[in-house]
Amino acid sequence: MKRKLSIFLVSILLVGLFAGCSSDSKTSGNGKKDVDLRIWSFTDELKKPIKTFEEKNGVKVELTIVPIADYPTKLKPVLESGVGAPDVFTGEIAFLKQWVDAGYWENLSEKPYNADKLSDKYVPYVFDLGKDKDGDVRALSWQTTPGGIYYKRSIAKEVLGTDDPTQVGEMMSSMDKVFEVADKMKAKGYSMFPDEGAIRWFTQGDNPQPWVNDKNELQLTDEKMEYMDYSKKLRNNQYTALAPEWSPSWFEGMDKPIKVKEGGKEKETQVFSYVLPTWGLHSVLKTNVKESVGDWAVTSGPSPYFWGGTWLGVYNKSDNKELAYKFVKMMTQDDEFLTSWSKETGDVLSYLPVTETIKDDFSDKFLGGQNNYQFFLDQSTKITPGIVTKYDQQLDTLYGNAVQQYVTGKKSKKEAIKEFYQKAHNAYPDIKVPKK
Amino acid sequence: MKNINRYGYFFIAPFWLVFLVFSIYPVALTFYYSFTNYTGSGEAQLVGLANYKRLLTDTYFVEAFFNTWKIWGVNFALQMGLALILAMIFSDMRIKLKGIAFFRSIFYLPNLITISSVALLFGILLDWQHGSLNMMLMKLGIISDPINWLNEPTSAQLSVSLILTWMWFGHSFIVVMAGVSGISKDYYEAALIDGANRWQTFSKITIPLLKPILLYIMITSLIGGLQLFDLPMLLTDGIGSPDGSLNTMVLYLYNQAFKYNNYGYAAAVAYGLFVITLIFSAFIFKGMYGKERKQPRQV
Amino acid sequence: MIGKTAVDNSLSNSVQKKSVIETKPKRKISIPKLLIYALLIAMAIVCFIPFLMMLVNATRSNEAILSGFTLIPGSALVENYQTMMSYINIWAGFKNSLFISVLVTLLSGYFSALTAYGFAFYVFKGKNAMFVFMLVMMMVPGQLGLIGFYELCKNLGILDTYIPLIIPAAASPFVVFFLRQYILTTLHPSLIEAARIDGASEFKIFHTIAIPIMMPAIATMSIFTFIGSWNNYIMPLVVLFSPEKFTLPVLMGFLKGSQVAQNLGSMYLGIAISVVPIMVAFLFLSKYIVNSISAGSIKE
Repeated sequence: MKRKLSIFLVSILLVGLFAGCSSDSKTSGNGKKDVDLRIWSFTDELKKPIKTFEEKNGVKVELTIVPIADYPTKLKPVLESGVGAPDVFTGEIAFLKQWVDAGYWENLSEKPYNADKLSDKYVPYVFDLGKDKDGDVRALSWQTTPGGIYYKRSIAKEVLGTDDPTQVGEMMSSMDKVFEVADKMKAKGYSMFPDEGAIRWFTQGDNPQPWVNDKNELQLTDEKMEYMDYSKKLRNNQYTALAPEWSPSWFEGMDKPIKVKEGGKEKETQVFSYVLPTWGLHSVLKTNVKESVGDWAVTSGPSPYFWGGTWLGVYNKSDNKELAYKFVKMMTQDDEFLTSWSKETGDVLSYLPVTETIKDDFSDKFLGGQNNYQFFLDQSTKITPGIVTKYDQQLDTLYGNAVQQYVTGKKSKKEAIKEFYQKAHNAYPDIKVPKK
Repeated sequence: MKNINRYGYFFIAPFWLVFLVFSIYPVALTFYYSFTNYTGSGEAQLVGLANYKRLLTDTYFVEAFFNTWKIWGVNFALQMGLALILAMIFSDMRIKLKGIAFFRSIFYLPNLITISSVALLFGILLDWQHGSLNMMLMKLGIISDPINWLNEPTSAQLSVSLILTWMWFGHSFIVVMAGVSGISKDYYEAALIDGANRWQTFSKITIPLLKPILLYIMITSLIGGLQLFDLPMLLTDGIGSPDGSLNTMVLYLYNQAFKYNNYGYAAAVAYGLFVITLIFSAFIFKGMYGKERKQPRQV
Repeated sequence: MIGKTAVDNSLSNSVQKKSVIETKPKRKISIPKLLIYALLIAMAIVCFIPFLMMLVNATRSNEAILSGFTLIPGSALVENYQTMMSYINIWAGFKNSLFISVLVTLLSGYFSALTAYGFAFYVFKGKNAMFVFMLVMMMVPGQLGLIGFYELCKNLGILDTYIPLIIPAAASPFVVFFLRQYILTTLHPSLIEAARIDGASEFKIFHTIAIPIMMPAIATMSIFTFIGSWNNYIMPLVVLFSPEKFTLPVLMGFLKGSQVAQNLGSMYLGIAISVVPIMVAFLFLSKYIVNSISAGSIKE
């Protein structure tokens, strides 16, 4: 026994040390000499652009992908300390505001970048969101991210009698009408949405307000409160497939019928529609759908909304700002690259010089030849930009939780809201919360 | 001789160097931060006792305190119960069971797995609609409707307790067995002669003689239990839902510091946790030393 | 592949034991005894079933897992592996964890022995005070210093390195305490005196006499240290930022938020890979580990 143990321990030792040495030499070799540019992001969507950039400039770029839930917690200390920091990093809308003001991104309004001159080349709200509190540009984005409802044409034809986006959009132009459609879907065994969370964007769209206003007061609008009731109605009437956003069954439901267990029965149901913005098409639907390609279309919901969006900028302590900005430039201002990017992915650009030339004859096979570009550009003009705050990510999580409590019957609406206020105040003692 | 004793300092110097820098200094620094409104960047401003005042009235910390106790308590009762029953069975001279080594290993196995893997594994096994556990139970006809394990406060806490039990009862069993094997056979033989039944033998001989061991398990388990973090963090969305039922003290500390950037307050939470641990450890220690004098002997 | 053989091994193992159990005491097998065995086997199955589900599901496709439960392995193992590896390099996590845990175990073993020896065999000013202070610090929960620890690492510029995860192991009060008790009872001072008369230096005496005598105790503690470091989650979570440096537990937490989570099969496979090598190692070492745990608690 003793001998066996010692042989085992020694071999573990050797393997461990060897592993350590080899990984050390590799990272230090890679980190310092071979890589010219380090980029951090929370999705893999930059993979292809980076390849293009590497080929064009003959440089080596390293992309680090951190899942979005951990992204701010991981990135903050890196930027703060500068240890192992990237040269370029992206920011998602949920924490964008916090970061543009934190000063991690280089001021692009100064020389040699002079980004202010670009202002009229972008969809206004996108450009404005990249500015800090002093009005200096810190980050740029190539996309605009208004949303819609993606639905299956075949189901629409069967249940609603038409698959035309305009007509289907008309049938869903208010929450009441959405429920009418949902009822028809249920009658034929379909699920209107994958789960209740799908409708959250519409209820704030009627009266878009920031979570925290400039007096530092938390604002829970009536519309947002109504969202609770809508969610509960969806759940109680069994209009959904109980597949939470981003869960494996949520993805599975795009292509195939999924099983739902409810009320002591198991049934199989197909999901009619997914509420997703522009990027949902190329980074969610297209990557997961195999069989129903061409059977999809996109239309508008009860109210316009936007969801997400990726901004990027140069880290202010980067050693290689020139190359870093070159990459930012390619992603946001390069006519040739952006044209091919949008044609390939269907991503809707915020860079007007390119969108002007491509929007008219755009058509996407995945959407049965629909011109989604024109549709989303129209939607993007309806967006109110001033509603983004630095609290959004955490407050969205907390409120989502409160809604969940109500939907599953754990709490009354009043209790759930009260608890949301308490939790918000607990997380951010400096914001003022209604005392109810 | 004096010269030689000086070497003592050389021997303990590396330890103290590292200990001072990496253990004592951080603890002291945390203490300092607990009087400030430090947010992780920029300057820390002294705010006096504000953080501690907030701590005393913080319903979420109280909630976290009770959650931690509930989860740990249920787990500890189950874990010790199982360990004792097993020890009773295996130590019973009248049955003489075989295969103790095998069962010991199997029961201990879950304890070796990285707790984050355990959390992840149970996270998907316990999934409401598509988790394998619900599917299995439905197939076997035990339940007709899937149970949303991690969405109901009670069942979520119970799930965590059971997972902890699953992970730890084997460990406790081994420790208890070690204690049992240290008890002299004479006691049991005398009991046999006196005609004591199983339960009497167990409650009158085994349990009292095992007390130091049981207290050892209790202390280590309590200190570990009060620091419960990984499971709730990874089983839920990280904020301890449903309904805050999985919000434990360390999870609360982590969220205050690294999610909401309230470092100063989180430092006060840490000291709150420390005081609580201290109080309960003191109680148990008192129990241990107070009782030990009355015991015949147990090394 | 590794996963499968491990299951086969342990399954056949359990089957073997079962048959041993059922055939050997054939002479006089009572009903209560059979019941107890049945109960024990049922418990063993409960202990093992989550692992079994994990291993089976690791070979099945996402679609299959969503549609129902079975214990028959699927055929999607290779695809699951490819999906997982395209997002997360699990072997790198393994390597990192192994590297850290091995160094932590070595450092903790050596320096604790050194300190324990110093406390046990020398007389110097402040010795008792220091020892008591150390014991008090043992009661301090690890999380207490977390925030200060983080700030310290930030100021020292050692965030996102392995230093804060490895070096502190050189000061492990509990191990020191345990080793001191051990060596006080096993090493007689006359042995040291004899060596001194032979002209051996103090450190030589430590290395050639004390260490070999302490070895069994060091080995016992090493197992705990190794397991503790291997399972450490909160420290690396706070200290490390670059995904390529992540340890296995952090990587597992990462898995949940990554795109791997879209595919249940890959998810199960990732967990299986993190678990199976430990199970295999345990098969070889179980007796030793069990003995260590017993020893650790009794010596207390």
